[in-house]
Amino acid sequence: MRRLSTALALVLALPATAEEFNFAVTTDPQTMDPHAVNSTPVLGFLNNVYEGLVRRGKDMSIEPALAVSWEPIGEGEGWRFKLREGVTFQDGAEFTADDVIFSYERASSEQADTSSWFAPVSEVVKVDDYTVDIMTTAPNPIFPDSIANWMMMDSGWAEANGAARPDKEQGNYATLNANGTGPFQVVSRQPDLETVLEPHEGWWGEVEHNLTRVTMTPIQNPATALAALLSGDVDFINPVPIQDVARLEGNPEVRVIQGIEARVIMLGFDQQEGAAESGQGGADMFVDPRAREAVAKAINVPAILQTIMRGNAEVASQMVSPAMRGYSEAHAAPYAYDAEAARSLAEEAGLTGQTIAFKCPNDRYLNDEAVCQAITSMLAQAGMEVSLDAMPVSNYWPELRADNFDMYLLGWSPGTFDAEHPIRFLAATQDDEAKLGSWNFGGYSNARVDELLPMIQSEIDDTARQAMLDETAKILQDEVAYVPLYVQPLVWGARSGVELTQRPDDFFILRWVTVN
Amino acid sequence: MLSFIVKRVGQSILVLLITGLVAFSMFTFVGDPIDNMLGQERTIEDVERLRQQLGLDKPFVVQYYRFLEQAVQGNFGVSYRQGRPVAEILLERAPATLELAAVSGIFAILLGIALGVFTAIRRNGIAANLIMSASLIGVSLPTFLIGILLIYLFSVELGWLPSFGRGDTVDLGGWTTGFLTASGLKALILPSITLGLYQMTLIMRLVRSEMLEVLRQDYIRFAKARGLSDRVVNFRHALKNTMVPVITVIGLQLGSIIAFAIITETVFQWPGVGLLFINAIQFVDIPVMAAYLMLISVMFVGINLLVDILYAFIDPRLRVAA
Repeated sequence: MRRLSTALALVLALPATAEEFNFAVTTDPQTMDPHAVNSTPVLGFLNNVYEGLVRRGKDMSIEPALAVSWEPIGEGEGWRFKLREGVTFQDGAEFTADDVIFSYERASSEQADTSSWFAPVSEVVKVDDYTVDIMTTAPNPIFPDSIANWMMMDSGWAEANGAARPDKEQGNYATLNANGTGPFQVVSRQPDLETVLEPHEGWWGEVEHNLTRVTMTPIQNPATALAALLSGDVDFINPVPIQDVARLEGNPEVRVIQGIEARVIMLGFDQQEGAAESGQGGADMFVDPRAREAVAKAINVPAILQTIMRGNAEVASQMVSPAMRGYSEAHAAPYAYDAEAARSLAEEAGLTGQTIAFKCPNDRYLNDEAVCQAITSMLAQAGMEVSLDAMPVSNYWPELRADNFDMYLLGWSPGTFDAEHPIRFLAATQDDEAKLGSWNFGGYSNARVDELLPMIQSEIDDTARQAMLDETAKILQDEVAYVPLYVQPLVWGARSGVELTQRPDDFFILRWVTVN
Repeated sequence: MLSFIVKRVGQSILVLLITGLVAFSMFTFVGDPIDNMLGQERTIEDVERLRQQLGLDKPFVVQYYRFLEQAVQGNFGVSYRQGRPVAEILLERAPATLELAAVSGIFAILLGIALGVFTAIRRNGIAANLIMSASLIGVSLPTFLIGILLIYLFSVELGWLPSFGRGDTVDLGGWTTGFLTASGLKALILPSITLGLYQMTLIMRLVRSEMLEVLRQDYIRFAKARGLSDRVVNFRHALKNTMVPVITVIGLQLGSIIAFAIITETVFQWPGVGLLFINAIQFVDIPVMAAYLMLISVMFVGINLLVDILYAFIDPRLRVAA
């Protein structure tokens, strides 16, 4: 009983200083293992705890982290990384080249969800304790960009705790515990309820934040999260429901931080001949590029952004946003809205009189269902009949994999922040062996694009690389492989005294947060 | 008597098995968990491999059989979302739901009976009529709306009570309780009212109509004629006779308080099993959904079984019929 009352007194006596920071997220990171799940909630959170050889700065540029410098080896045989000396993990162990080798083996293993990052890697060689060579099968100019989220784990810690490989199904020690080199360490973790972080005293970097304790609580209900922010129970929420932005802007106690995400929302089409055996919609209606162009011209994207996104998003012209490396300036013009042209194109292509089966998620992207409804009525105005089927994302992906669609909505955020990424996943001809086109549900295929992709991947000269990216962007635009609609907005909410930095990857980086 | 109980228990087990079968056949429609477990750079191979490892490529009957096989040994599997044993997660979450249900149950019973008696005794008074009209709100407004309204009033506008969560808890050997801290008690207020309001108005209206019925009986008139005080007549004679049907209803409502907790827990981000279940549905976390549904059906079937057996003790005619 005495112990209980002491505990009680302690709980009641906890001081509430300004540097204690509480924030709410919609999705709890499902694991603390940086190699087990490659998703924004997991990697975004763990970027505060673990670090990679390189990291992204406030403007998304690549900067040194656990590597102090790197350079290409020979004629593009690989990359040599010089490691930072004197870095310690949160349990006190020293960071050396062995941990890099171990983290490579772990993150590229079959059990990991990050193995695609290492597809170009042939081997990783320890030169000395603080030098590592990463050899690639072909020259790979953007390799350092592609590993910003490859986080270093201590080999000794992982092996001692039986977590030498990630375990997605059963979970292991690393699923619940973390031991990185980053500026914050996990002091308590109750999955789904609360995760508490404290600054890592031995961190190598210069401390910019003034936080002493950070608590992350997942709150799924947007109205509850908003109420928690307004009442001061939390200092930060992500996202703020778009329809509440205007109301919050009139409140002096909170502020809204808006930007655009790296994610481009687009329409995809079933372009495989004879693939409509599902019985939904007519056969092969989008094999003809004129049919896809009809859709592109029938949609008034600025009107959608004005009404549904309340002016918070940008029209997209290609599969990446202008902030990405390799964005094609030469093809920055979006499809022009022209309902009349759309109507005659639809007639020429034989779309008129058929019902387009349009699949759409209703809990994946911001206001996704409302956007799909708007598209449905815009297509109707141009003489195209659409049957819209909106569903939760858990049902959505199986539906797309089963080819049960004529047209669908997709958002794509390039993990490498490079224009090559969506080409590899969305535009390349599906090839399971080569791990290409794994999200190319509609079966788009163009021999020239397939030919250009490996050349883009291995071109070292920036100008030549951009020329090839431009060519690809032109082909995709001319053939209307996808109809890019807009770049999704990012809307964060914070108490007025909170200073922070918003990045287009939607990562909330705590070391840039100060509370006044 | 023994054969009656054996028969009832047998029927209960059959009901449980059928509930489980229906639940497992529904999981196919909730969606596919694989996409939630893998990131966007997964390959089709990864998807197939994981599906095989989890046994999701098998028909639902086989999945159900495997679940039962493990469940009878006390193993409810590992959550897809959290990578932890489901039994561990459920035990961790149960105290939150049970404490919330207990507090809102007590709130509903005490206030419901008191207001019911009051409105029955003063059935023409202004206060009683006001309470009766106001109680319509409790019956007709949906739970989530009441919750949001309370949050906006007491957390956002007035700043008196927390807008979400359970506050600080104290761990008593595996049972986390919010009863022992100030913030834990404060955090209980709004969710308990939200969850208990409907039950409270239900009990109040029931007590009122039963009480009015009883007050018209001859023995009450005789008691009054004997010159007994109003207090004795109302509380010793009338209320006692009112309570029989009320207690039956309260017993039946016990289960639904726990089941209705799902909505309240979602609105208040209350870390109980209901919230766990909602999150599990979104993620298609089949082991958690299965265990939760089995747990809830065991609870309902158990309560019913107990009631049936009790009735049989009380009423010998049931025994004969069986």
